[in-house]
Amino acid sequence: MDRSADTASGAQVRLRNLCKTYGQTAAVDDVSLDVPAGAFVSLLGPSGSGKTTTLNLIAGFLTPDRGDILIDNRSVADVPPHKRNIGMVFQSYSLFPHMTVAENVGFPLRMRSKLTRADAQKRIAEMLALVQLSHLSARYPRQLSGGQQQRVAMARALVSRPRLLLMDEPLGALDKKLREQMQTEIRRIHRSVGTTVVYVTHDQSEALTMSDLIVVMHRARIAQIGPPNALYETPASAFVADFIGDSNLIEATIMGVVGDRWTVKAGNGALIHTAPPAFAASVGDRVFLLIRPEDMTVRPSTSEPQASREQGEHIVGVLKERSFHGDVFKLGVALGSEMLKARVAREDGAAFEVGQSIALTWKNGAARLLPATGDDDGSGRSAAT
Amino acid sequence: MTAIAEQAPRAKSVQHRQAMPALLLLPALVWIAVFFLLPLVLMCWRSLAAESYSFKAYWIVFSSPLYTKVMLTTLESASIATVLALLLAYPMAYTLTITSGILRGLLLMLVFIPYWVDIIVRTFSWLILLGDHGLINVLLRKLGIVHGSLPLLYSEFAVLVGMVQILLPLTIVVLFGAMLRIDRTLIAAAKIHGASGWNAFRTVFFPLSLPGVYGAALLVFVLSLGFYVTPALLGSPRQTMIAQTIMVEASELLDWGQASAAGLLLLIMTTLIAAIYNRYFSLDRLWGGSDA
Amino acid sequence: MNPTADRIVLGAAATAIVAYLIFPVIVVLAISFSAGNFLEFPPPGLSLRWYRAIAGDPEWVSAFMVTLKVGSLTALLATLLGVPAAFALVRYVVPAKALLSALILCALVTPPIVTAISTYLFFVPLGLNNSIVGLACAHAVSGMPFVVINTAASLRSADRNLERAAIIHGAHPLWAIIRITLPIISPGIIIGAILAFVHSAHELLIAMFVLGGVGKPVTVKIWSDVQATSDPTIAAASAILIGLAILTFVSVSTAQALARRRNG
Repeated sequence: MDRSADTASGAQVRLRNLCKTYGQTAAVDDVSLDVPAGAFVSLLGPSGSGKTTTLNLIAGFLTPDRGDILIDNRSVADVPPHKRNIGMVFQSYSLFPHMTVAENVGFPLRMRSKLTRADAQKRIAEMLALVQLSHLSARYPRQLSGGQQQRVAMARALVSRPRLLLMDEPLGALDKKLREQMQTEIRRIHRSVGTTVVYVTHDQSEALTMSDLIVVMHRARIAQIGPPNALYETPASAFVADFIGDSNLIEATIMGVVGDRWTVKAGNGALIHTAPPAFAASVGDRVFLLIRPEDMTVRPSTSEPQASREQGEHIVGVLKERSFHGDVFKLGVALGSEMLKARVAREDGAAFEVGQSIALTWKNGAARLLPATGDDDGSGRSAAT
Repeated sequence: MTAIAEQAPRAKSVQHRQAMPALLLLPALVWIAVFFLLPLVLMCWRSLAAESYSFKAYWIVFSSPLYTKVMLTTLESASIATVLALLLAYPMAYTLTITSGILRGLLLMLVFIPYWVDIIVRTFSWLILLGDHGLINVLLRKLGIVHGSLPLLYSEFAVLVGMVQILLPLTIVVLFGAMLRIDRTLIAAAKIHGASGWNAFRTVFFPLSLPGVYGAALLVFVLSLGFYVTPALLGSPRQTMIAQTIMVEASELLDWGQASAAGLLLLIMTTLIAAIYNRYFSLDRLWGGSDA
Repeated sequence: MNPTADRIVLGAAATAIVAYLIFPVIVVLAISFSAGNFLEFPPPGLSLRWYRAIAGDPEWVSAFMVTLKVGSLTALLATLLGVPAAFALVRYVVPAKALLSALILCALVTPPIVTAISTYLFFVPLGLNNSIVGLACAHAVSGMPFVVINTAASLRSADRNLERAAIIHGAHPLWAIIRITLPIISPGIIIGAILAFVHSAHELLIAMFVLGGVGKPVTVKIWSDVQATSDPTIAAASAILIGLAILTFVSVSTAQALARRRNG
């Protein structure tokens, strides 16, 4: 699929201090964002986090109370949605039911461009080929499956070669297998067309798979921005760590620092060493200790769990739960009043029994310290002050 | 990063959005104001002006025995008609709730059709059915229950029969709408925990349907107060309702001032009832208002 | 009580109530085809003479024409006024919403005799009495709620994203509303318009005052005839109105079913 010379591929999008309030509630609170041209950016967050509102602000269906939106360095504050030259895909597909697939795809051309009839037909055919639906051009939306409708919606959104494509949880209505297939499809199309994509989702694995850049949103604000691996490996807050991937967040207090080695004391008295935190912290601060389940090795412990014995990079706890998940066994290991999540491969799972003493070990640096500030920054959790 | 102007670009589009709803509502509001509110205001003025700006016309309404009697009759007929309409509408609405598909569609159609027959004719048919040679009496005679004929017409009974038949479709529809909003799984939950069909209805469904009942009751009562055709055709002078009296004042006695006064008092009464009611049971729900 | 007994009792009650509702309609229809001269039920024989009488009577024909004109004009006015109002109520957060709700409530609870007298007195200096336009203007007030309520219901359940999809891909917002949204909500609008029409066709008291003389509509003529004559003509006239109502109901249901099939 060629990128013709007349398609400048992707727009650069900038959000500056966007605010949108409904009554007393802020739906979007001081959101600023730089989207590089041609990037695939996901707005990721739980419902109510402001991601859909932000998307609607970019589209122009909502007007910000404060702040600005720049597309290709020009403010679009006074540009109504039908003039912003954007493509959009909705969760409910929103295909025009009284038009055929070809007519749906050709709609933006009829509305916007000055293409001749022949050129328009050619462009429509190109798009349908791109989404691999050329054979269905004369059908009506109600005759298509969900996945097919979504692909038609994409073709329609891309037909006038917009420099920005907005996608509002487009795969939410599809079942898991189909969703995964469509994710691959969308990435392929994005690579092929080169437009900038802003993609809203609440599914973190979807965001991790598809994005160049993820914007995690929480309570109307941006919690963290970064490429998927950065967010996964170096989350900046307990909320992000908890939202992306599986995590263990253990409440701890900083006990001491020796050079690069920081020591914290976990709830049950166990002492653990970690690398320096990425934020300002001092002895006596309460923090979260983050360890991902997949970073921990699990083996039965030959010793009883004991408090206040220097343990280094491992912890001993008691196995409380064991459940089968097909490819792995998930274990719940009690450490004092906290429950840690761990995993073992399918063939090893049978060896563990509830009530057993379990040792969890991890490599140097796999554990991170995260701030334990008040609720407004993190998850529902906060280290009790 | 450059400093970005925040306020200026926004003004135009925000203003436009705020003007829109007003613009859309304006024609309707203006129309209602001109063709509904204005006439009422003028009528009020006229009722005062008629007797050189005094409340004489109003005083007559309050003090004359004729008006008192008529008002009492009106209130009585309206109350009984409301109760009867509710008693009959409830099982019908409930039946609609538990049926579905074709049967429900058919029942709805049967309920709706009489609504599209005009009031005069619907009332008028009772004239035929309840008369001395009407169907009812003929049947009763044939069955040997009576020998002469029952004086069914020109009575409270006839008026009520007519009124209820006219009020029923609306009552059923309002109740049905309210009942549809009751979560049916609550009934299932009651039954699975030991309630019989009757008990589940009594302790779960019925209490939840009461707001709908109150809403319907209010609507029906207020409408009943204004009935004209039915008491005029089916009732004797003893069943005269207030609308008839006002009509006589206006079209026969040509005492527009008096008619206006009586009419306004009637309007105040219905408005007050509706307003008081609306404070406790929001009527907005009837047309899917904001607090549905 | 066991469930089957419950259902039998309920079924019996429902049947009885339906009979109570429908019976007068059947009576009127039957009498309209009566071969006899009087209003008796059951009629002695069947005949179309009363329908022929109406068709041949210029007064009746004129009355039906007037009803049709007034009703159509009312439906049109109610639609033009009510559809934008419905959009305002559904799409925007409007402080006047409470006001409009109150007004609708007012329209519902005002006794017809009061509206009739006030409208008549108001029309006198304006010269709107004895005119079809005048009556339609008055009827439009009470016809409007039908359009507003039904249109709003349709609008609320319509998928707004279809309109947005059109707009974001280049359609002017007004174009999107007219070409995308209006067709989708048209069943609601049409039902409202029809209800406004029927409401106008049945209205008696305002019509009596505003257009009660020469050129009166069907309801006024029926009312004056009911008290004067006692032959089945009025039954036939009503039957024609009933037929009109059933015809509209059927065509609306069909239109709705077709629209639903077309829109998936």
